[in-house]
Amino acid sequence: MKNRFWIIIFSAVLIISAGLWILISNLSLSANIVGIYQNNRLIKKIDLNSVTEPYEITISGEAGKNIVQVSNGHIKMKSAQCPDKICVNHGELISNTSPIVCLPNKIVIKFENSSENIDVKTGVK
Amino acid sequence: MKTKKLVFTAILTALALVAFSIEAAIPPITPIYGIKLGIANVFTLFALYTLGPYEAAAVLFVRITLGSIFTGQAVSFIYSLSGGLLSFILMLILKRFFQKDKVWVLSVLCAIAHNVGQIIAAVIITQTFQIAFYLPVLLISGIIAGAFTGLCVQFTLLHLKRFVN
Repeated sequence: MKNRFWIIIFSAVLIISAGLWILISNLSLSANIVGIYQNNRLIKKIDLNSVTEPYEITISGEAGKNIVQVSNGHIKMKSAQCPDKICVNHGELISNTSPIVCLPNKIVIKFENSSENIDVKTGVK
Repeated sequence: MKTKKLVFTAILTALALVAFSIEAAIPPITPIYGIKLGIANVFTLFALYTLGPYEAAAVLFVRITLGSIFTGQAVSFIYSLSGGLLSFILMLILKRFFQKDKVWVLSVLCAIAHNVGQIIAAVIITQTFQIAFYLPVLLISGIIAGAFTGLCVQFTLLHLKRFVN
């Protein structure tokens, strides 16, 4: 068989793979599960990818009420009654390494994905 | 003749080991994990075309074992071995269909087999099937790296025609 034949075949595989790669990397394969903890106890578990309508959760504690806003793919602390509002200023939850924390009410919001809790992979293949 | 073959096998193994060690010392070019050129495979393919299947197997497996010891990566030994085994089996089966002017095609197919073998090993070791979604990336790198190493062998065979036979 001619070289040209193989070049065409391999180019086709190359292009298909590139397409698949882009497709896969855009797909969110793992569920985007977020856990809300109060006093170290899990009080609510939300899959952010299955949220269709935005809604709010109110959590009350010693220092007043906290309102959590949940929408598709996003979660943030909308308001808090404590004086310093560190959790509100934190903004949306984006990373495993920086959970949203409200110290006065002892609330923590963080990702639950167990397999993607790794910061860095090291090693050589 | 036997001694000559032995010496050639030893030289090719040593060269493959040097190439492997140097490549392992170079920091990764791409940020994507698991992609490399695999220059050491040039010597395996070269041995297959000039010496024979047994010598090629010796070059490959001695290089993998010693290379893993030298670079000090125990896990990479399993990955290299699984990839190397699969690609070598394919190499033996398909070798008769590809003459010396089609080495690069064989090389690409073997590179793909190598990456598939590594993915299978990774899925078994880590018990996570999601790694299989990494296949397209490794397919792309396998085709490019395989074509490169295959062309290296092809040109070497062409220019050492007088020397190897």
